[in-house]
Amino acid sequence: MELELELEKEKGAEMEMEMGMRVLVVDDSPIDRKIVEGLLKRNGNGFFKVIAVDSGVKAMELLRLNKQKSEPESLASKEINIDIILTDYCMPDMTGYDLLRAVKEQNFSRTIPVVIMSSENEPQRISRCKADGAEDFILKPLQTNDVQKLRNYANRSAKPSKLKSGTKRKMTSQLELASAMNITEWKPHLSRVVMVLKSSRLDISPYFPVACKVVLLFYAMLCLNQLLHR
Amino acid sequence: MDLSLLQRTYSDLLSSLFTEGILNQQFTELQQLQDENNPGFVYEVVSLFFDDAGRLINELGSNLNQQVVDYKKIDAHVHQLKGSSASIGAQRIRNVCQGFRDYCEANDPQGCFSCMQQLNQEFLTFKSKLETLFKVEQQIVASGGSVPMIQ
Repeated sequence: MELELELEKEKGAEMEMEMGMRVLVVDDSPIDRKIVEGLLKRNGNGFFKVIAVDSGVKAMELLRLNKQKSEPESLASKEINIDIILTDYCMPDMTGYDLLRAVKEQNFSRTIPVVIMSSENEPQRISRCKADGAEDFILKPLQTNDVQKLRNYANRSAKPSKLKSGTKRKMTSQLELASAMNITEWKPHLSRVVMVLKSSRLDISPYFPVACKVVLLFYAMLCLNQLLHR
Repeated sequence: MDLSLLQRTYSDLLSSLFTEGILNQQFTELQQLQDENNPGFVYEVVSLFFDDAGRLINELGSNLNQQVVDYKKIDAHVHQLKGSSASIGAQRIRNVCQGFRDYCEANDPQGCFSCMQQLNQEFLTFKSKLETLFKVEQQIVASGGSVPMIQ
């Protein structure tokens, strides 16, 4: 029953994705932010909901990765509604690569794909980003065909994962579900036994010492009998 | 002015910008993002570029005039300008920035100063021509006409 509920929840997340994809655009250039926003809005037919910030630090705040010690746990663990992150690589203070690593180190309830943008075609940079979990590395300026790629990456992360980076967490949660189910199945039986025990009029405790004495006496008589018959 | 004349003027201006290498295909991509829901998109983006590039060029100038030139800082500014000029299709500005970065890497003051002068010139030319283009565009729109696009 609970497994069915979980599957329905995932289906709901997929449907929600179909209704709109929340893209976090991170770029220190106001021109590039405007262009990416325009590109997503024009080619998405209203599908993309764009949130644009001008730094990695602001992105971290938005994703609640900069948890304050004084912040209550309920606020800190609130579900982050971002489906995909599109970040520039070269930014002051915190690069897109730093942001990528910070995002991948977090245990979000679902994987948020991170796509890096850069105007520089540096193979080492590209392979480093991909090795650390970047979904893709897109050369600026972004083109129309890059928009469909973003949609695919976000859709992929919304589906029940095969063996990917989010799988371990998902499998663990599924295992927990299964064990919870087992416990749930046995619970009625256990509770019945407890009820029977509780409802019983037999109260053992006062008779226990007497019973012990009787057993000891019987044992002593046996030993004496053995001695006498030798 | 006659609408068709305005439209022809606009087309000629735009064509010349491409022919002279001031603009490239990326500008056309920007124009394609403009529609009835976002009629001033290109103007807004280019205006942002004017402000941002103007600021960066001023900072470059003041950094180059320091007694001790910080080439890394200059390179960072040039990199930013190169990126934004590439994003809007300002080809000649982008090309000057590429050369500028090479001189920064070599810590070459003469090369940097030469690029700085070129950059100033290219930016002024770009700004002047685009402002003229937008003026004609506004006149076309005010006359109830549609803005021609380069194919």
